[in-house]
Amino acid sequence: MPRASHPVTDAVPVAPAPRPALRGPSRVWVPAAVGVAGILVGVVVSLVLPSSLTFLAITSVIAMISLIGLGIVTGTAGMIVLSQLTFAAVGAWIVAWFNQIGVPGGFLLHLVVGALAAGAAGLLLGLPALRLRGVNLAVVTLGFAAAADLTLGKTQFPGTAAGLRIPRPAPFADDRGYFVLAVVVLVAVAVTVHYLQRSRLGSSWRAVAFSERGTAAVGSDVRTAKLTAFAVSAMIAGVAGGLIAGQVGTPQATSFTTLQSLALYVLSIVSGAHLIEMAVFGGILWVLIPELLKRFGVPQDWGFVIFGVLGIQALTTGSNLGQDIRGAIAKRRRRRSPAPESGLVPFTDAELGALGSVSVSHGEPVLELQDVSVSFGHVKALQHVDLVLRAGEIRGLIGPNGAGKSTLVDAVSGFLPQHDGAVSLAGSPLAGLAPDRRARLGLRRTFQQDRVPPSLTVGDYVRFVAHGGASEAEIASALEFFGCPPASARIADVDVGTRRVVEVAANLLAKPRVLVLDEPAAGLSHDEHIAFGQRLRRIPERFAAAVLIIEHDLDLVRAVCHSATVLNFGEVLATGTVDEVLANPEVSKAYMGEAELL
Amino acid sequence: MLQGAIAGLAIGGVYAIIAVCMTLMAQLVRVINFAQAGIGMFGAFLAASLAQSLRMPVPVGLLIGLVTGIALSVLIGLITQRWLPEASVSARSAVTVGALLLLVSLSFILFGTRPMTFAPIVSGTAFAVGGVVVSQVTIVMVALAALVSGGAWLLLAKTTVGTKLRAIADRPVAAELIGIPVTSLTIGVWAASGLIVTVVVMIVAPTQTSDATSLSMLVIPASAAALLGAFKRLGLALVGGLLLGVIQGAVSQLPELMLVRDWIPLVLIVLFLLWNQRKEVWDAAR
Amino acid sequence: MRITRTLTGAAALAAASILVLAGCSGQASTSTATGAPIIVSSVSSLSGAGTFPEASAAAQAAFDEFNAAGGLDGRPIQYKAYDDKGDPATANQVAREAVESGSVANIGGASVLDCEVNHAYYEEQGFSAIQGTGVDPFCFTSPAISPTNAGPYVDTTLTLTYGSEKLGLQKICGLLAINGSTRQAYQGAIDAWTAKTGKTVTMIDDTLSYTTADYTPYVVQIKQQGCDAVYANLIEPGYVGLLKAAESQGLDVTFLFLTSGYSEQFAQAASYVGKGVYVPAEFAPYTDPSVKGNEDWAAVMDKHNVPKTSFAQGGYLAAQDFIQVLKGMKGDVTRETVTAALKGMTTPIESPMTGTPWIFGAGDTHNSNTAGWPIVIKPGTTQWVAAETDWLKLDAAK
Repeated sequence: MPRASHPVTDAVPVAPAPRPALRGPSRVWVPAAVGVAGILVGVVVSLVLPSSLTFLAITSVIAMISLIGLGIVTGTAGMIVLSQLTFAAVGAWIVAWFNQIGVPGGFLLHLVVGALAAGAAGLLLGLPALRLRGVNLAVVTLGFAAAADLTLGKTQFPGTAAGLRIPRPAPFADDRGYFVLAVVVLVAVAVTVHYLQRSRLGSSWRAVAFSERGTAAVGSDVRTAKLTAFAVSAMIAGVAGGLIAGQVGTPQATSFTTLQSLALYVLSIVSGAHLIEMAVFGGILWVLIPELLKRFGVPQDWGFVIFGVLGIQALTTGSNLGQDIRGAIAKRRRRRSPAPESGLVPFTDAELGALGSVSVSHGEPVLELQDVSVSFGHVKALQHVDLVLRAGEIRGLIGPNGAGKSTLVDAVSGFLPQHDGAVSLAGSPLAGLAPDRRARLGLRRTFQQDRVPPSLTVGDYVRFVAHGGASEAEIASALEFFGCPPASARIADVDVGTRRVVEVAANLLAKPRVLVLDEPAAGLSHDEHIAFGQRLRRIPERFAAAVLIIEHDLDLVRAVCHSATVLNFGEVLATGTVDEVLANPEVSKAYMGEAELL
Repeated sequence: MLQGAIAGLAIGGVYAIIAVCMTLMAQLVRVINFAQAGIGMFGAFLAASLAQSLRMPVPVGLLIGLVTGIALSVLIGLITQRWLPEASVSARSAVTVGALLLLVSLSFILFGTRPMTFAPIVSGTAFAVGGVVVSQVTIVMVALAALVSGGAWLLLAKTTVGTKLRAIADRPVAAELIGIPVTSLTIGVWAASGLIVTVVVMIVAPTQTSDATSLSMLVIPASAAALLGAFKRLGLALVGGLLLGVIQGAVSQLPELMLVRDWIPLVLIVLFLLWNQRKEVWDAAR
Repeated sequence: MRITRTLTGAAALAAASILVLAGCSGQASTSTATGAPIIVSSVSSLSGAGTFPEASAAAQAAFDEFNAAGGLDGRPIQYKAYDDKGDPATANQVAREAVESGSVANIGGASVLDCEVNHAYYEEQGFSAIQGTGVDPFCFTSPAISPTNAGPYVDTTLTLTYGSEKLGLQKICGLLAINGSTRQAYQGAIDAWTAKTGKTVTMIDDTLSYTTADYTPYVVQIKQQGCDAVYANLIEPGYVGLLKAAESQGLDVTFLFLTSGYSEQFAQAASYVGKGVYVPAEFAPYTDPSVKGNEDWAAVMDKHNVPKTSFAQGGYLAAQDFIQVLKGMKGDVTRETVTAALKGMTTPIESPMTGTPWIFGAGDTHNSNTAGWPIVIKPGTTQWVAAETDWLKLDAAK
């Protein structure tokens, strides 16, 4: 449906604090350049390193690759995966098998196919396991790792029985050459993952790690996000496995045991492997700790004990080395430059004049609730609620605590599939549609709790929520309109109240038909309340969205809303214009109780 | 095939007991304890090591091993409770992954990898019916499994302690506020599970290859059994464990399916998951 | 607070590792020999799930004695036992470290995969190895390696021969734990027994591994086959598990095992032995006082606190044989000259500890030890005793 375009360049003479430029094309090539530099470093190291350490260095680089893959699922997407080396075994198996049956193409081609096979295995394993709770994935992956362990022990890798060795590609045949090959592969994987992390896919991974509800509510399928993270991680493990096969020549099950997968998982937690530089550090630790133990004559099994202890320490303190170091750098950066200030201030009279008066016009119904009822066991949270929201309307949803307002929003947005009654968006029924689907159809909601992932920047988050529906200029304009921090600011640096304003702005940039706000002004100061109310009033004309807003602040409701619906004990108590509703004695009694009203 | 199935009942009993313990822990202390079998393994190995190297009398060794198993479980519980009381099930369970790694590696260091002289607590055949042999361990395990699950159910459903435990599981903060000693009861749950698992491993270890890794990996088929009850229903965990043991035992009698046998727990885990989570549920934790 | 601790920790770690990796090895050895040390190494599986630490420990003890007695014209032997963790990557790694550290040979190692993974490297580098206990088949089929033990393949032929010919067992069921490329080698050993005796195994199950936990299904299968003997090529933990499962299921048969089960610890752990557990010991049995030849070895083991097992015998012998070759060498002791001396051997070295003398020599394969002394744990006992009064020899020696 075509929307009236609004002049984005509403001249807003207020000069906000100068903001650094959005990420421009000049910064995009930096990771690639770093990668090339990394390869050069690798070549130099291969020439300088004593040959006894070269083999060890290859092992370290392969571990770095495994950790980068693991970092995607454990750090970025927040899952527990205990079978990384089993996926590596899939990659090694393919390479060995192709070598045995004589598939043409050479080692590198076999490596790529092995990685794809490992990714396919990841997809297969992830499909049933990723529907819900994260810890189930841990159980599945552990089961997978243990079963594969036993099977690999009973059957050998292809070609092992005949003593076939996997040949390394010609220019990389000796240990030094193979080390350079491993570094090249590492750089390729690292650069690819870096770009992936910064893409929408990466944002979806971070969002899903923080809050699955939040991710679904912004139109992103939770399952797809997790599945892609899992498959990519398995693919990278497959690359590592293929490299192991080439490194040792005759791969054996002992390189891919469950215990080593556990240790790798723990190491990824400890080092914070979702940061690529920390994955590199983790790979070094993987070989350094056992080597140190060896030099000191300590039994090497202490290596895993150390990993276990470090892992428990990292898990209980909720931080890891990578985060510590980055946090330290960030703290220093913050001391030098102040935190992004919230620009959410009330409009000056001049601005108000420039913006003009608010135009209010109500169109066709965009959101209809018919006889919606929700009960949790014996508790009837909502009973026969009817509600019609028209285009251009701002409706307040008010009522005492426990009246069922949030339940209503949950039901409307798809988080309570087991409700009675019908909800339709602009005429089309929403029954049976998942929350992310509803969000993509134009029904957006925000949350009472903070569901904005702090691991993203403001710009990344907004782009992710807007689902590609807004240009950079529109994004900048909307952020400015709501007084949000600039797109380059990190959400972790922003206070919770402002984050929720960013959430509102971001959802509006998706150009929804209906925006449901759940107590959006909580956490804002008094001035910010007023400023926010001024912005809210202009949403229908500026963003062409109807608004349903749950609020406790009746001043805000009076200032912003055209109409209001009062819920009490799950039933609609009153509905009408704001003044009518607030003058209703039943409404006052509901809020105040049966006490005598003065 | 029948003999194989009956033979599998013994290990099925082990799966069932560990599954019941894991279900209890998942419900009461919100942890999927990956180190569950590892704790038992450590206690059993310690007992055997003391009897072997220090020539301690066997019952003393067993007692020390038992106490150690309880202590280890309590330690992990304390760490989890102290630093991650409000964290998600995932985060709390991740700690047990670290603990599993630690326990297995530590056992390699302390006890080596040579077989322990486990004093068999129960051994030999009990009786044979028409060519089908039932070993003593089978009987003990099945009986223990019934005892543990029945006892747990009785405790939770019929006693005051059980009610308190269920309160903690449901609303820990509210329970604390009305005066239920959350920490003590939580530690009590950890201790009880540590005790049960160590006893079970002490009984079963002498009857099969007793290396640290495979004993600790008993947690996998146990979690498959627990998943049948969605980590909620004790009865289903019991049935699941016994069934899994029987199926594995029967399948391993067919040489063609020898490789398949190892994948049965995983397949069952996946099937149970697909079944349990067929309806999309957005619970408060997400 | 945490940051400073992490940073200082990281810095300390970095500093320590640089120092250590720069190679501050080379501890001075406390011995009466004070000349330039002769560097000797070994690669063994010392950690992980399946470990054989006694072979290299015994070799170390033998070298310590040698150094205490003055070494090679005043030159001590500086011995380093590397751990391959049962992992091919690590095995590759430590083999390279050993060769590059200036080691002249690998003596007394016992590993699940060192020969298989590294034999090509050793052959390329002109590096020789005398395994204390060769386990994988490449220990016996490489020009660069000559173990002192008979090996599980010869041992298999011996145990089957003893079972069928001496004990008169009719139906033998076999359980094989396969690691790497060993399946063919075991089949070859079984075929050799068939060729000699005309008998075959009733059943072979080769789906076991060194980490198999539950032997009940296999025991049930064996019962169904109605075998009167079970042959298995496991290591100690596996043998114990197998016997326990047999006890639970009431399988009362004779057990034909390999030397890997020969230790006092195993005898203690094996509370149930069916009709008896028989093993053709690769070296003269040390648990039976009626068998002579192990006195020196036992004394050295006791003095240096090395557990007395068959692996320890092998490691000790490897060290002694090497010392004897060293003594016969003139001139420099380097990797090349040692290899030349080993390959140039024409007279085998006799020992009361083995049934056949040991030699290196110029061949492409080395399997000098082809004899086993049958020993048994009888039902109701927990000790190994000699079942025969002499060696059982394999006629076709390589």
